[in-house]
Amino acid sequence: MAEEAIKLGGKRKSIFMDKVKELLPEGGNLNLCLTCGACSSGCPATGLEGMDPRKFLRMAALGMDDEIMSTPWTWMCTMCQRCIYVCPMKIDIPQLVFNARATWPREKRPKGILGSCDMALRNESRSAMGTSPEDFDFVVGDVLEEYQESQPEFAEMEAPIDKQGAEFFLNQNSREPVTEPDEMVPLWKILHLAGVNWTYGSKGWGGENYCMFLADNDAWETLTRTTINQADALGCETYLNTE
Amino acid sequence: MHCPVTAVNQYNLNLDDRRAAYIEYPQAVPLAFAIDTDTCIGCGLCENMCIAKAVDYADKERETKVQVGSVILSSGSQGFDPSGLDFLGYGKYPNVVTSEEYERILSASGPYFGHLMRPLDREEPKSVAWLQCVGSRDANRSGNGYCSSVCCMYAIKEAMISKEHAHSELDCAIFNMDMRTFGKDYEKYYNRARYKDGVRFVKARVHTITEVPETGDLTVKYTDETGAMQEEIFSMVVLSVGLKIPETSVELAKRLGIELNQYNFVETDPLRPVESSRPGVYTCGVFQGPKDIPGSITEASAAACLAGADIAEARGKDIEKVEVPEEVDVAGQEPRIGVFVCNCGINIGGIVDVPDVQEYSGTLPYVVFTDSNLFTCSQDTQDKIKEMIIEHQLNRLVVASCSPKTHEPMFMETLEACGINKYLFEMANIRNQNSWIHSNNPDIATAKAKELVRMAVARAATLRPLNEKVVYINKRALVIGGGIAGMNASLGLARQGFNVVMVEKEAELGGFSRKLHHTIEGKDIQAYLKALISDVTAEDKIRVLTEAQIVGFEGFKGSFATQVLVNGEREKIEHGIIIVATGGDEYKPKEFLYGEDARVMTQVELTDRLEEKGAGDLSTVVMVQCVGSRNEENENCSRICCQSAIKNALHIKKLNPDAQVFVLYRDIRSYGMLEDYYTEARRQGVIFIRFDKDAPPEVESGSDGVVVTVKDHILQQNVEITADILTLSAGMTAADTDDLSGVMKLNRNPEGFFIEAHVKLRPVDMPSDGIFLCGAAHGPKLISESIAQAQAAAARAVTFLAKEAIRLSAITAKVDVDHCVKCLTCVRSCPFDVPTFNEEEKVIEINEAICHGCGVCAGVCPRQAIQLSFYEDDQLIAKIDALLEAA
Repeated sequence: MAEEAIKLGGKRKSIFMDKVKELLPEGGNLNLCLTCGACSSGCPATGLEGMDPRKFLRMAALGMDDEIMSTPWTWMCTMCQRCIYVCPMKIDIPQLVFNARATWPREKRPKGILGSCDMALRNESRSAMGTSPEDFDFVVGDVLEEYQESQPEFAEMEAPIDKQGAEFFLNQNSREPVTEPDEMVPLWKILHLAGVNWTYGSKGWGGENYCMFLADNDAWETLTRTTINQADALGCETYLNTE
Repeated sequence: MHCPVTAVNQYNLNLDDRRAAYIEYPQAVPLAFAIDTDTCIGCGLCENMCIAKAVDYADKERETKVQVGSVILSSGSQGFDPSGLDFLGYGKYPNVVTSEEYERILSASGPYFGHLMRPLDREEPKSVAWLQCVGSRDANRSGNGYCSSVCCMYAIKEAMISKEHAHSELDCAIFNMDMRTFGKDYEKYYNRARYKDGVRFVKARVHTITEVPETGDLTVKYTDETGAMQEEIFSMVVLSVGLKIPETSVELAKRLGIELNQYNFVETDPLRPVESSRPGVYTCGVFQGPKDIPGSITEASAAACLAGADIAEARGKDIEKVEVPEEVDVAGQEPRIGVFVCNCGINIGGIVDVPDVQEYSGTLPYVVFTDSNLFTCSQDTQDKIKEMIIEHQLNRLVVASCSPKTHEPMFMETLEACGINKYLFEMANIRNQNSWIHSNNPDIATAKAKELVRMAVARAATLRPLNEKVVYINKRALVIGGGIAGMNASLGLARQGFNVVMVEKEAELGGFSRKLHHTIEGKDIQAYLKALISDVTAEDKIRVLTEAQIVGFEGFKGSFATQVLVNGEREKIEHGIIIVATGGDEYKPKEFLYGEDARVMTQVELTDRLEEKGAGDLSTVVMVQCVGSRNEENENCSRICCQSAIKNALHIKKLNPDAQVFVLYRDIRSYGMLEDYYTEARRQGVIFIRFDKDAPPEVESGSDGVVVTVKDHILQQNVEITADILTLSAGMTAADTDDLSGVMKLNRNPEGFFIEAHVKLRPVDMPSDGIFLCGAAHGPKLISESIAQAQAAAARAVTFLAKEAIRLSAITAKVDVDHCVKCLTCVRSCPFDVPTFNEEEKVIEINEAICHGCGVCAGVCPRQAIQLSFYEDDQLIAKIDALLEAA
């Protein structure tokens, strides 16, 4: 960190935090910090890049916009919300981080998150692995058949896709159908034994929303709308988010 | 004792058990057994056992109608319940306790009899952490945005007591956001804990507490001021829970039709601090707002002042007189001494072998009866003492317990109630002067207790009955100071029917408040002052003397005479009581270019500037807190400057939202409801930067403004702020009362504020009887607090003025004129100027009515011609002889 003094005073300039405040209800309480450090003491990213949530908010409050918008720490936040849970002033630090991410040029954002978001945008599965609806349909059918045969007590088990009128709409971690298809089965078994009427969607079955972590607003809206529209189209009453 | 039922003891916060037939706690008034109907099985055992046939299972709650003229609500508070804060582990980990539970753990009558132990395994903790602001200053999880005002002080106190109780080195850490030790001399206590006794103060709020399953210890993680994550293991964690208004009080308020604020405290006007929204209904204590004991006691008296004024005509009706039996003449009787040895819970009994001391005292000359008690000061013990005095025809009483300073008057009353002269009493202090200081050596403590008792018994045998002088009370009051405090005190007295002379040194009334504009709540101080002055001048019973100076003073409680100089003429005013309300002033800074750069000003000057010119031309204002407070010169906190800064910061933001305001502080002390204004200031964008006492801001005059450099406490990086105005939050100083305190012999503390009789329990009385204290003369305070204290002083004065006569202490010095050589040593030595040389009679005279009984004259008299009654030479020599006797 620069050892030079932070220069303040003179006419008030509009700062990054002001813009974020405008977006949030009650301004996200961003002004209210008591600098107590409860956030930092519970944050999994404290200390990384010499940064923590309290410092991040402080820099934003003091108008250190260049630092706020360039620190790679922004991408180390897991959006777990442990900070806002205990904050005596209920300050929405995760939203401040999110909006700081959004200031980065898209191509400069971390490759992993960026790549996963782009994959999800490739087809209507919205899978971070880029799996097509057809491939998903095939894998689910294949695995189901295998278990129905090898485990007779689950001969009647179902794993429906696009079942009209199902009560529950279930989404699915994108990695499992591709790398660990057996991992999908335990949940099917539970739902089967519980006698639940559920379905996957051929569209929007991918459970993660890397575009949200990427702070790409249009893209994460696209992902969310795809899956919610599918659930609505099937007449499902409850959306079960597994991610 | 015979009850077979075990029930949870709620008084000890469920930490131990009691019977279903029980006494709530040892000092309860009335000290009577009750039956807990929720757990009683109705076995009939206690009914059969009771000799007095006092048990009635069918007894029911009864409703009674009482006709009253005014009502005072003082239903208090309860501690915040932290069960809902899952991250703190309360209710899950046994060694996480609330501060209320911890108080019980430390108490002699608590679940562990005062031994410092933790609940899980009854082991003595090696380390204890306090977490501040649990259920306070928390808009998120508890919804209590206010500061509870008392938790910082009680946490320090608990830490200090814990260190005393612990048998080995105890680590105490208090995790806090701000330490709010804003009361009179509280900062000194904080400094003592911090620098002398090694209590650690950590500026951090802890996110989550977890348990170490193997040991029951607790892991506390926090980020320190450099941002580094720290992890510490503590044996115990105490949650410093805030004050909350119970649901029952909310219902009570609803029934009475009075308004409560958003946090359920009684809604009051800052200029009418103890009045509820309904005329005739008053409030005090925590129901009025979070506060400590002195504040509660002050408000209690204030509420009594107003409630009493409403019904002043009815004073004296419905009074039951306590009949004191005629005094038994013990002259010529051989001494018959009774000795009562106190356990004081475990304070004495835990160290000293009390049965041994009792047995020993029975062997001493003239002792005809001995006893020992758990608490000799409790009401039931008084009754027992009375019985024993009569049964054994005792004519001298010795109590071996604590300090006569606190308990002598009570035991003397017990004697009087039996018709025994109250001066036939002696105390041996085997607690403060013995068990507390020899707690690590019980044998020595027991031996010393015996010696102290032997000395006390020896002196008791030499005591003689003494007669007290009766003084008739002059019903007029003298109020010194015509500011907000003085005027409110005068009105309080006049409205209760007493004549007042109010003396003001300036030409105009109003004092320091004439320089002020608005309270933080937005109340117009000048409008209030105008109305108050007109009330005072319109009141027939108040005589106002302005440009008046007190030049002479004599007399004693109930019968004072004060010389006042007005317009070059001396006037003698006779009066029965005095209220001191000499006020305060703003400290004139020597720091931070004040007086050198016109852009540097105090908060009061900034307020004037904002009234005159607004804030439209201001881009940046910096404020520096604790100027002239909390430093070497003035150790105390000035209490009001944090709110002054917040008030002016909000005012600037209101006038010009684009202006930037930076407040450089050490601890923000916006106690009670003031916290809401601190929150609002931050909401408006005011930036608060904490600095350390050892690294104060640096200030330079620049062409574009005053340049202030300070290290930001979060970024650990210097911040350089160029400000149009630098405002210094100058502390509050006492008015110059050098002459007055000299003339009237009233004691002040090193900071120049007058000293009250007892910092906690008698906050508006002065040490000399008949003299009371209020407003900033007592210490820095807000206008609302000054008003309450002024009303309190009036109420305390009325309890005095309402009497026809009082009895004076018989402990006075007497001159043996036959042996006196008139050397005048006593005249020169008396700190109260009491002995005088009577030119006509050619003798030294000591007026017993004004003699304080300090004994200085008796000590310095080279001819031993002065005796102090109750402490006569033979009585003291008897004590010394007894000490030197081989045991």
